[in-house]
Amino acid sequence: MSHDHDHDGHHHPVAKSPLELRTEALEALLAAKGLVSAEAIDAVVSYYEHDVGPQNGARVVARAWSDPAYRTRLLADGTAAVQELGFTGFELNTLVVVENTPLVHNVIVCTLCSCYPWPVLGLPPTWYKSAPYRARVVAEPRAVLREFGLELAPEVELRVWDSTAEVRYLVLPERPARTDGWAEEELARLVVRDSMIGTAKAMSP
Amino acid sequence: MTAPRLAAVDRALALVAPLPRSNGELVFDEPWQGRALGLGIVALDEAGVSLVEFSRFLADAVGSHGYDPAEPAAGAYYAAWLDALEHALRTRGVELP
Repeated sequence: MSHDHDHDGHHHPVAKSPLELRTEALEALLAAKGLVSAEAIDAVVSYYEHDVGPQNGARVVARAWSDPAYRTRLLADGTAAVQELGFTGFELNTLVVVENTPLVHNVIVCTLCSCYPWPVLGLPPTWYKSAPYRARVVAEPRAVLREFGLELAPEVELRVWDSTAEVRYLVLPERPARTDGWAEEELARLVVRDSMIGTAKAMSP
Repeated sequence: MTAPRLAAVDRALALVAPLPRSNGELVFDEPWQGRALGLGIVALDEAGVSLVEFSRFLADAVGSHGYDPAEPAAGAYYAAWLDALEHALRTRGVELP
């Protein structure tokens, strides 16, 4: 992924690939001619974000909810655990899975660009790449989550994880109540994309 | 609206240059590929290029792009996609570098 960076206090933008630059240039040119708008393209891409990509991550979460041994492996080595389900890729070289509990809530961001575990979550949503989200979720995470409709109790510890070129994060949301005995396929349908970024909880049945 | 349009694109290309899939799901090796797909769908619509017409440009581009074993399949496909998109748009008088 381009313009990635490490987070040892230093960000090192990486050159974009020629094809990425070409795509951006073509979009800019066609937008200038009035043929396309970012909003119209976003609407198409949004389809993938919501309906194509995140189900991979949802399968991972549903497996972790159903299989305690898998959950342990997932939290110990996210990369290896998602590989068990067939999900691999450069962006998953180091995948760290952080678990939400009644007293800890995790949220992920990439403060300088848009590092994102997209092999399991699909393409990043537009807001994930927006400057306000990237800046504000670090400075005032509770306020940002409130705007997403997620109100956290004061006693809940909030942890913000800054993704990098080397390390991507995935949130393991809490399993919803009243789902005892549910099959993995049923559970996966409760796992919305934003719950794996940390800006929402999994859906209730 | 978006889903039916994508389904139409998927169907139109299925026999000539199908969208890259893995286990039934669309795959993108890198995010620009998804952006290129979205860009193409919107631009073709606006420029009045039919999917049947575009599928011919795409089949030609996929054929001429060649196969590089070192290049991921989706990367090669969407590189050809950009070639075909630019070709199609030029036929509608869109000036491109």
